[in-house]
Amino acid sequence: MALPKAGETERLVADPAPGITAAPHEDNLRYFDVTIQGPDGSPFQQGVFHLELFLPEEYPMSPPKVRFLTKIYHPNIDKLGRICLDILKDKWSPALQIRTVLLSIQALLSAPNPDDPLATDVAKHYKEDEKDAQRVSREWTEKYASN
Amino acid sequence: MTQDFQPRGGLFFAGSDDEDDDANPTTAQIGVLVQPASHQLAPPSGPACSPHEKRLFFADSDDEDIPRFQTPRPIAIDSEFVMDGNDSESDLEIPSFEEVPRASSISSMSSGPSLRSSSPAPDPSGEEPPVKKRRLSPSSKVQARTGQASFNHLAYLGSFLVGNAWSTVRGKGYIKPGDTIRIERDDDFKFGLPVSGKGKKKALPDNGKKKQLTLGAMLKSQPPKMTKKADTVVRLTNDRGFEFGRLPQHVSSWVSRLLDFGIVDFKGSTVVDCPATLHSGADLIVSLSVYVRAPAFKPPSTSVEGPSKTMFNQGQETQDEQTLKERKSALLSLFEAVNLRPCRGAHAQDNGNTENGSGGINKNPMQHPGGAKKKKIEIVSDGEEVEVEEGEELSDNELDVIYKKRNDQSMAEMDPPNTFTLKLRGYQKQALMWMHTKESGEISAREAVSMHPLWSEYAFPAEPQDGIIDLTEDEKSFYFNPYSGELSLDFPKAERKLKGADLFISVGMGKTIMLSALIHTNRGPEPILPDDTSRDLARTRQLKLDNAFQSRALGQRKQPTKGPSATLVVAPTSLLSQWHEELQRSSAPGTLKVTVWHGQNRLELDGIEDDSMDDASIIVIITSYGVLASEHSKLLKAGGQSSIFQVEWLRVILDEAHHCKSRTSKTARAVYALRARRRWAVTGTPIVNKLDDLHSLLQFLGYTPWSSYSFFRSFITVPFLARDPKAIEIVQVILESVLLRREKNMRDNSGKRIVELPAKEVTVDTLHFTPAEQRIYDSIYNAAKRNFDQLNAKGLVGKNYTHILAMIMRLRRAVLHPDLVTDTGDGTETEPSGHSKDGAIDVDTLMNDISEHGLSSGSKAAYAESVLANLDMSNDAECPICLDVMQTPSIIPPCMHQCCKECIMSYLATCTDKGEMPRCPTCSHGPVKEQDLIEVLRPSGQDSPHQESTGDEKEGTSTSEVFLRRNDFKSSTKLDALVQNLRRLRDQDPYFRAVVFSQFTSFLSLISVALDRERLSWYRFDGSMDLKKRNAAISEFKQNERKPKVLIVSLKAGGVGLNLTSANHVFMMDCWWNAATENQAIDRVHRIGQEKTVYVKHFIVDHTIEGRILQIQKRKTAIVKEAFRGSDKSGKADPESLENLKVIFGDN
Repeated sequence: MALPKAGETERLVADPAPGITAAPHEDNLRYFDVTIQGPDGSPFQQGVFHLELFLPEEYPMSPPKVRFLTKIYHPNIDKLGRICLDILKDKWSPALQIRTVLLSIQALLSAPNPDDPLATDVAKHYKEDEKDAQRVSREWTEKYASN
Repeated sequence: MTQDFQPRGGLFFAGSDDEDDDANPTTAQIGVLVQPASHQLAPPSGPACSPHEKRLFFADSDDEDIPRFQTPRPIAIDSEFVMDGNDSESDLEIPSFEEVPRASSISSMSSGPSLRSSSPAPDPSGEEPPVKKRRLSPSSKVQARTGQASFNHLAYLGSFLVGNAWSTVRGKGYIKPGDTIRIERDDDFKFGLPVSGKGKKKALPDNGKKKQLTLGAMLKSQPPKMTKKADTVVRLTNDRGFEFGRLPQHVSSWVSRLLDFGIVDFKGSTVVDCPATLHSGADLIVSLSVYVRAPAFKPPSTSVEGPSKTMFNQGQETQDEQTLKERKSALLSLFEAVNLRPCRGAHAQDNGNTENGSGGINKNPMQHPGGAKKKKIEIVSDGEEVEVEEGEELSDNELDVIYKKRNDQSMAEMDPPNTFTLKLRGYQKQALMWMHTKESGEISAREAVSMHPLWSEYAFPAEPQDGIIDLTEDEKSFYFNPYSGELSLDFPKAERKLKGADLFISVGMGKTIMLSALIHTNRGPEPILPDDTSRDLARTRQLKLDNAFQSRALGQRKQPTKGPSATLVVAPTSLLSQWHEELQRSSAPGTLKVTVWHGQNRLELDGIEDDSMDDASIIVIITSYGVLASEHSKLLKAGGQSSIFQVEWLRVILDEAHHCKSRTSKTARAVYALRARRRWAVTGTPIVNKLDDLHSLLQFLGYTPWSSYSFFRSFITVPFLARDPKAIEIVQVILESVLLRREKNMRDNSGKRIVELPAKEVTVDTLHFTPAEQRIYDSIYNAAKRNFDQLNAKGLVGKNYTHILAMIMRLRRAVLHPDLVTDTGDGTETEPSGHSKDGAIDVDTLMNDISEHGLSSGSKAAYAESVLANLDMSNDAECPICLDVMQTPSIIPPCMHQCCKECIMSYLATCTDKGEMPRCPTCSHGPVKEQDLIEVLRPSGQDSPHQESTGDEKEGTSTSEVFLRRNDFKSSTKLDALVQNLRRLRDQDPYFRAVVFSQFTSFLSLISVALDRERLSWYRFDGSMDLKKRNAAISEFKQNERKPKVLIVSLKAGGVGLNLTSANHVFMMDCWWNAATENQAIDRVHRIGQEKTVYVKHFIVDHTIEGRILQIQKRKTAIVKEAFRGSDKSGKADPESLENLKVIFGDN
């Protein structure tokens, strides 16, 4: 299956962004296994988060679908792993790529945005007591994302 | 009245509205012993018909027959009348007449020895009596008495026995074996034909023993369905003129015809045996001696009618035609009876007859194929044109059979004279030889057939004199045409009168060249024929008359001092200049004077022959079918005249002669009206889809008798419909003599292909609509389908045929380009005013735009500027969307980010679909309008040193290597595909030549815009252009320049004839119903002279009507005809078209 963007997968595999891996499934080249390392200086530091990424038919006219498989305590990521990120929604541009999407997600880990929450309880926690919330995030990272 | 001769009334009356073949085999037949004896009866005495006998004889009759007794016929029994009279008695018992038809008792008695030896065919009857030295009655005496005056005009043909003639009288003394009898018809005056030169004696009543003789007549009822005219009673009378018997119906049916037509006399016929006492119905054996009369050798009085008559009579047989056929079949029966067989000639075609004949003489002559044909035509001429046409369709297979004979490889070659400058290929030399011999009347080109293929030679049998055949007598021959029934004493030369023929040459074989060689070879002038002179006189007289009414002085035309020498070439308008060029090219300078006679300022042609007297150059006039037709209609107007029809041409050549295949068309009629010594028809398809197509060519060629439509139809078309293999044979015979077939894949005598053409690679590009196009198409399709389904349900499809066709047309346009179906429609209006034609803009304007937009941040402005500055460098920039190298970079103003055109267009469309603001994918600046996009075009092929200007009007705009244009042209899937293919082509071959075909001139216009935008030079050729422009387009396209060129051609105007071998890429933008039409278009490029591989690409959009059209193309019938040739007279669709419509709107 040819992907809409020429050579994107190859480049992604051959020249990965730091702290990010993405490998297509052998039986479905639109489906990627992704890992993102928790950025340094964030509560997710040291964690390795697994995500799945799927390129829909319309890609790149439509954004890829991305979801966390690893449990994560983050105001913009819900219990099901769904991510609230503008470029995955209305700010998507076909000029973006898998790499830029994943880098954006990595950046999101560094800079949670509780004002635009998806997991409302986590967001509330972050807003009311950021320190304590970060502690929980760290605990979850240790507990779920540290292998 | 004897009971044992009660007729089967049922038989008679049942058959009465039936075909004549019904009555015969079951008719009673009576065999009698044969016992020759000399005749003893006294010569007839004077008229003595008593009133009493009259009454007796006509006991039950009306009075209508009374006057007959004043006629020379001895006994006048109107058979109809007789029937009436005896109707009531018809239920009497008959012993087994119908169950056991006897074996034939007619056999050949005294055919000449030469015939015997030359015709070993089995005797039909199998009970042939000894032949020679048969003692005959003293016929000479009878001859002397009855036909002295005409004796010299009679020629003995033979004699035959009729074993089951029957008596109509009762009693003794009428005749005895050996008596000379006469064979008479009683209704000759009805036909207006003299029966014979026989005695004009009045009817002689005999001794009162005559009885009502009518029962037998009823039994031997004349063929039913015959009109009053067509009764076939043939009476046997004795010397005294008294009728004693009749011939059985199966014999009389044709004997009566022969007598009526005045073809034969039966002199010296004798009674061979009869019972001593006659009773009605008693079997008589008579020997009939047949003498052919001189008038028989004249052309039949009902001569084949000319074209003007058939014009209004198409498909119908005339009375004349029927008469001819009867004559023919009667003659055939006669020859059969006297066992006269051709010693030479068209015997092979005769096998149908012989076959029938071997079943015995019992066969009804009218069952002969001729009769069957007649029957057929009555069914056919019932007005259902459609069915006829369906049946006449020829499958490829049949065509192959028809052409089979024309595949001769080993023919002599001939070199053209040195005024002809080109080198001919082997097969062309052969063709020249053939054409030359055709023209010069020699017949040795193919084989020495000296006799006309349809004629047979018969030898007159020697006439037995007093029972002895003089074997030393010189054998004399006569000739018979078993197809027309003509008899001739003159040797029928093969292809007499016919100078010229039909060349069936596949496209791209160089037929122009061949004909040019012919023009050089046979240059005339021909001598003036005596009858021509008289015609010339008539013509000049006509001219004088014309001049009297016209101020213009046409003719100081003097009587030509020599025969015609000029050649007229008639070709489709699009080919006129090609003919001109080719003729010039192939001729040494000054040897050929070619004039294209076309357009408003046509010169008078009168002087041409006079001019040609001065120098040695050959005059050739080229004109078009259209001009010819309009000149002809001028001619037809009262007092009108047209010089082209007054000149007598040495030679007329019809190029693409299938243009006049419909013989009723104006064009065809005009063509027939030309006067020429030699006629040539050149075509790739002599039979487009019906055998009738061939007829028009034969008519032009004047190939008698086939040039007569009714003749052609009854002997070829109709038998063909009846699956009579003879039809094909005849066509083969005809074609053999008039047609030379040359096709690309034919091989010469050494087994090599006569033409080696480079390969042809055909690919089909299946394209997919953009979503927007799909939506437009779907909505049109659904509406059309709904419409069709409704009409179909109501059974109104036929009535709304045109409407449906219009819908289909719309669908086909929608496939090509949405603009072709939207109201604003022709595509050119999408161009905003104020821009140049190709949407070009220059960088400076763009820079101004940027500053006007007041892009605040300097960095952005700087980026924009750098983009523009680096336009010509950044060849390999990547599209941010597809990450590929941009094929057609499009700049998004004002941020100047770039994407592929396809990517950005698609994205903008997505945004619009989602209701979002279309924006730049890179910087999200928006809104972005499609038409604001700026395409960056870089000349492909970096090695091209210098981009030449691509056309006059674009001069000056292409100075820089990169050129920018507005994206203000709405393209389409097909257009994009074409443009991309052309770009790729330009990369591979910077000087490519491509030909693009489409049926829609409006689409051609869109293509031309697209090509403009690609800065490709294009030339257009379509039917709306006048000849001058067309010629200019072609010659410019062919001009050798170092740049790529594209010729866009409308399929209809340029599909035939053009020679475009300078190109080797063909793009078919749409598909036509008929694949043959497409192939012919492709053959413009793939033909002689082509040196490169030809690449053909069809663009088909998936899941559209085009797929359905391809389906229809595959349907067998669509191969040979237009799938939607539409409707018959009543405006209804024919079944085939309906079927095709269902394919279009089917659910599959």
